[in-house]
Amino acid sequence: MAMKKKRYALVLDSRKCINCKACAVACKAENQVPVGNTRNWINEARQGEYPKLRIDFEPEQCHHCEHPSCARVCPTGATWMRKDGVVLVNYDDCIGCRYCMVACPYDARYFHEESGTVHKCTLCSHRVDKGDLPACVETCPSKVRVFGDLEDPTSRVHELLATRRYRVKEPQTGNGPQLYYLL
Amino acid sequence: MHEFNWGLLIVVYLFLGGLSAGLFFAAGLANYLEVDGQPAYPRVAAMGALLAPWPVAIGSALLILDLGNWYRFYKLFTHFRWESPMSIGSYLLTIFTGIAFVYAFAWLPEAWRQQLFAKVPATWKQVHRLNMDLSPYRKVIAMVGFPFSIGVGIYTGVLLGAVSARPFWNTNLVAQMFLFSALSSGAAALLLAMVLDKRSPIQTHETKFLITLDIVFIVLELFIILPYLIHGQLSVLAVKQALWLILGGPYTVVFWVFFLGLGLLVPLGIEVSELAPSLLKGKAFHGDRKLALVASSLVLMGGFLLRYIFVYAGQVSSFHKMGMLH
Ligand code: SF4
Ligand code: SF4
Repeated sequence: MAMKKKRYALVLDSRKCINCKACAVACKAENQVPVGNTRNWINEARQGEYPKLRIDFEPEQCHHCEHPSCARVCPTGATWMRKDGVVLVNYDDCIGCRYCMVACPYDARYFHEESGTVHKCTLCSHRVDKGDLPACVETCPSKVRVFGDLEDPTSRVHELLATRRYRVKEPQTGNGPQLYYLL
Repeated sequence: MHEFNWGLLIVVYLFLGGLSAGLFFAAGLANYLEVDGQPAYPRVAAMGALLAPWPVAIGSALLILDLGNWYRFYKLFTHFRWESPMSIGSYLLTIFTGIAFVYAFAWLPEAWRQQLFAKVPATWKQVHRLNMDLSPYRKVIAMVGFPFSIGVGIYTGVLLGAVSARPFWNTNLVAQMFLFSALSSGAAALLLAMVLDKRSPIQTHETKFLITLDIVFIVLELFIILPYLIHGQLSVLAVKQALWLILGGPYTVVFWVFFLGLGLLVPLGIEVSELAPSLLKGKAFHGDRKLALVASSLVLMGGFLLRYIFVYAGQVSSFHKMGMLH
């Protein structure tokens, strides 16, 4: 039987986000992210002045773009996209030129000083390949994060995107970002 | 605070790469120009040829040292990725550097060449075979090198221009801007070197040639910068916001005063005022040594600042964070 095509993505119900940063902590522990770097973070948008104040929280990380500009500019092909849409860095081929960091419109990458290579969110592919959820998804106490396969009609992400309104960030970059924010 | 992933070394590298391209172009051109069947500017051609390979060689070495893993730089040449400007540029730069060294060798005075090979142990026969006189092939080598020098000049701009995530860079004008700036830097560097060379003082017709060349390139560069600003203002919001970086934002003063003013318009003014009397009124060209010194130094500073402004301001520009800058 031929393998069915997969397309992993994250759907984020960011209105539920309470800025507890459990996802960021879980990611740091899971992926040994050095102090001072992050693979995922929470954006804050303020509106108005106290007492009429409104703050929106919006989790962000690598968007695992459909047309990743980071991979396009990489001179050695160290940054590449898996068939299931996960964008990864092959650390052995990365020369540390940082062109990909400059080319990522979402500033999702960081330079890993110790190894001299560039790191970013891997969508916890090491866990996903074993059938587990990404660490941030598993940890989130307010269930903001939904992970799944967009090509699978029975998946929760598929259902959410079919029934709810959503947006992606800066679609004008042409990167085809794959973090879906529910409205 | 925005973090800069690319810093001063990249600026230096882009500047030196362009400088070599410009030196090679000016030297090669001088090699082709003749008056009454005699080479018109043999000393300009020689000086340019001997200088051309060094800046790019130094620049590339700096760039390699700037990599996170410098010893992996060979991986640039075990892959070819046509979509990556850096990949194509690495090949282009290597070929160009090779040609520039061969060209310099072809211009090496006979005595220098013998001295050089005298240092090589006599038993290294293969090396001594290279002790050839390439001077009959100068024109051929220059012709082969021209497209590569232009290519390198363009590449330094495309490296930035191809990054769709940075609205400050991502226009189709940056490549030409960098190319003309590189060519003008090359002409200016050649002028500077010849003016400083005390052993054989620069002659008036040589100054005139280099000044004319520089004026042409500066004017071409201005013709690119103007539409860059105008188009940017008339473009989509992200580009307009990116342009704010040099229109009121943190890079305004270096752009207008130091780059456009001191680095472009002032030397252009000096050079035009030197050339105009002989061009328009048929008066003899004098070519003041000090003025040539000032003008060429300013052009070089301007060329460096252009890279500086683009590398830094470009990294600040983005599709999402710009709003917060205002
Ligand atoms: S968000 Fe950035 S790092 Fe992630 S795939 Fe897209 S361009 Fe690459
Ligand atoms: S830093 Fe590494 S992954 Fe990024 S573009 Fe350079 S070689 Fe590719």
